[in-house]
Amino acid sequence: MKQLSILLLAALAAGSSVACAQPAPSSPPPPPSVARSSAAERLYAAARPKLLQIRTVVVAAGQQSSIGSGFLVGAGGFAITNYHVVSQFALEPATYRLEYTAADASRGELTLLAIDVPNDLAVVRIDKRDAPFFQLDARAVAGGVPKGEHLYSMGNPLDLGFTIVEGTYNGPVERSYNERIHFTGAVNPGMSGGPAVAADGRVVGINVSKQLGGELVSFLVPARFAVALLKRAQGNVLLSRESIRAEIGRQIAAWQAGLYKSVDEQGFRSISFGPYRALESTAPWFTCWARTTAGQVPKPRATVDTTSCYSDTRLFIASDLNTGFIQVTYSYFRSVDLNPFQFAAFLSQHVESPQIGGWSKKWYTQQRCHEEFIAASATGDHPRLRAVWCARAYHEFAGLYDVSVSTMTQNSSSEVLVAALSLQGVSYENAVTVAKRFLEAVQWTP
Amino acid sequence: MDPVIWIEILSRHRAVVARYRVSGPEIRIGRGYGNDVVIDDPYLAVEHVRIRRDESGALVAEDIGTANGMFSDRSTGKIERVVLDGDRIIRIGQTYLRARDASYAVVRERPLKRQIGTWPVALALAAAILGMEALSLWLGETNSPKLSRYLPPLLGLAAGVLSWSAAWAILCRIFSGQARFERNLLVALVGLLVLTLYSDFAESVGFALSWYPIASYDYVASYSIVAAICFWHLRVIGPSRLKIKAGVVAALAVITIAAQTLPQIEARDYAPQNYARHLMPPALRLAPLRSESGFFADVERLKSRLDRDRAKPASASGDSAPSDSED
Repeated sequence: MKQLSILLLAALAAGSSVACAQPAPSSPPPPPSVARSSAAERLYAAARPKLLQIRTVVVAAGQQSSIGSGFLVGAGGFAITNYHVVSQFALEPATYRLEYTAADASRGELTLLAIDVPNDLAVVRIDKRDAPFFQLDARAVAGGVPKGEHLYSMGNPLDLGFTIVEGTYNGPVERSYNERIHFTGAVNPGMSGGPAVAADGRVVGINVSKQLGGELVSFLVPARFAVALLKRAQGNVLLSRESIRAEIGRQIAAWQAGLYKSVDEQGFRSISFGPYRALESTAPWFTCWARTTAGQVPKPRATVDTTSCYSDTRLFIASDLNTGFIQVTYSYFRSVDLNPFQFAAFLSQHVESPQIGGWSKKWYTQQRCHEEFIAASATGDHPRLRAVWCARAYHEFAGLYDVSVSTMTQNSSSEVLVAALSLQGVSYENAVTVAKRFLEAVQWTP
Repeated sequence: MDPVIWIEILSRHRAVVARYRVSGPEIRIGRGYGNDVVIDDPYLAVEHVRIRRDESGALVAEDIGTANGMFSDRSTGKIERVVLDGDRIIRIGQTYLRARDASYAVVRERPLKRQIGTWPVALALAAAILGMEALSLWLGETNSPKLSRYLPPLLGLAAGVLSWSAAWAILCRIFSGQARFERNLLVALVGLLVLTLYSDFAESVGFALSWYPIASYDYVASYSIVAAICFWHLRVIGPSRLKIKAGVVAALAVITIAAQTLPQIEARDYAPQNYARHLMPPALRLAPLRSESGFFADVERLKSRLDRDRAKPASASGDSAPSDSED
């Protein structure tokens, strides 16, 4: 399966090394820049006092453990950054503290005011009240930026100093459930939370991530989510340190409720595997890949055709915790010349055990499973099934679970359809509803 | 003329190692050459015991005032005088002996039956075991069958059984004087057959009835069977002190099982195995099927268990499994 991964752009403590750090030769200054670059020059000069580098500092050691960027927006020292830039502090406020460094090297403490986990945004406040600030682009908020427009992304990549990068606005990402802007430009770790502005200096989006395995494929959070979050932060609802985890849990819960509602609304289509039929979501944010072993050499004694659909709905919670992922995998096994026992042995080797992703004791309870052999329906179109339901709860987030359901048809000893459903960060009720729908859709027509 | 008396010297396992034909009104036993029966046991007096008949004609052993004294078989109390009925064993120094006269009644002869020889039985057992092993390899075959996948395990099995039996035969030779290779081989083969049958049985029953502990704790049965085999081998060596032998074997089995169970119990946090790991053809399923609503009702019950788990704080014991580090 081809699954591209996304790199979030907060630079972590691991550090990066520069290949070749030669001192700059003392050559005569370059000729005055041509007109083409003057826009970036002008924009950066205006933006410089409004940019922040945001550092998460380990209280006990006094040194940074991750860095990102941010920008001032609105009077009163309000600034926007990514949730993932401040996530360590949000989850462990006793271990970390937040600091900022401005372009003029002034430093200070940051207060975390509001977070938006699904859109990866946070509002922080600096201790200076009179600093200049960015305006958010009204066209971007209304969704009226044309594809191809020049955007200028700013931030502090890899702790090298504030930088401005020119690139192109490429519209919303079509296959993403969480709205993201596709920005073609070199955004690097450390620039997370920095602004991407139009030629008039107004903010269109916030740097958030880039695609690994692509070239210059970067993503921005649309400015309108920042507008909404800023309004919430200015509404004086203080986020106490103790309530942040509960707030994260509430946001994931609300987000997954919306997600499963849209999955339901987007509808399903029936797909077939040999004599079996099953269900597939038609939601646009599912990416599907298929593979088969039919062409293997030497000729396999049983073939496997696999279709795997996964959603682009992953949520970053902490550096060791992602959630929100949905995956539906169908594997159609057919015996070529294996006898029933050999075919069962083949299934034992190839059907994955129902384990949901990685496991850390920090975030999850232990996985509990329940297996049942379910009778065929009276009408006969639902075959006999073996179903295994495995689930684990999140220690910190009430009402959220990771669920993995695997069903295996039991009506033939020479062909089997295995359906595996994996739902992360889901309410139990939604998991049962989805599982029931998928389980009931497994049909057999001889 | 005085009737004949047989003095029998016994081993620690109560097997006769020497037999002396003596007669006379009084028989003396000791280390000195003036005795009727001379025994080279450094703990014996020059003249240690005399055996004679009392008024009723029974044989009586008497200690001739020695330093180390005389004992009745295994008891630790010295005795001066004891009536020998032919079965009573006395201990002098480190020597066990008994006396029998010509009138001692021996058991009737065993009728000479035409017995099936050991070797045909052993061969039949070996064929059954190798056949079952080959069958289970074949039923688990998912690639194109190759002789090289079958031969090494089967030859290994055969070599293992032969070496095991040979080792017991050597022990047998050391402790009882006879190797009894055939008996030991039979014991090993029968034991292995039981082991093979059990593992197939456990796998099938586990799948058929969703009874997964039988598969995850099958080593308990296996070690018990191995313990039984060892006990049987010990019986072949000698029929005495069976209770002690059984106790030692059982204790070893319990210790081994406990040593293997402990990590399993401690690891159960991470890998609860209450679903089938080894699938079998659907036709082998015996347990009644559930309805779909029954399944989802059970799934709802699982939720309350998870919520109870959530309420428990994450314990600090044990190291966590590697978490996925995908960003």
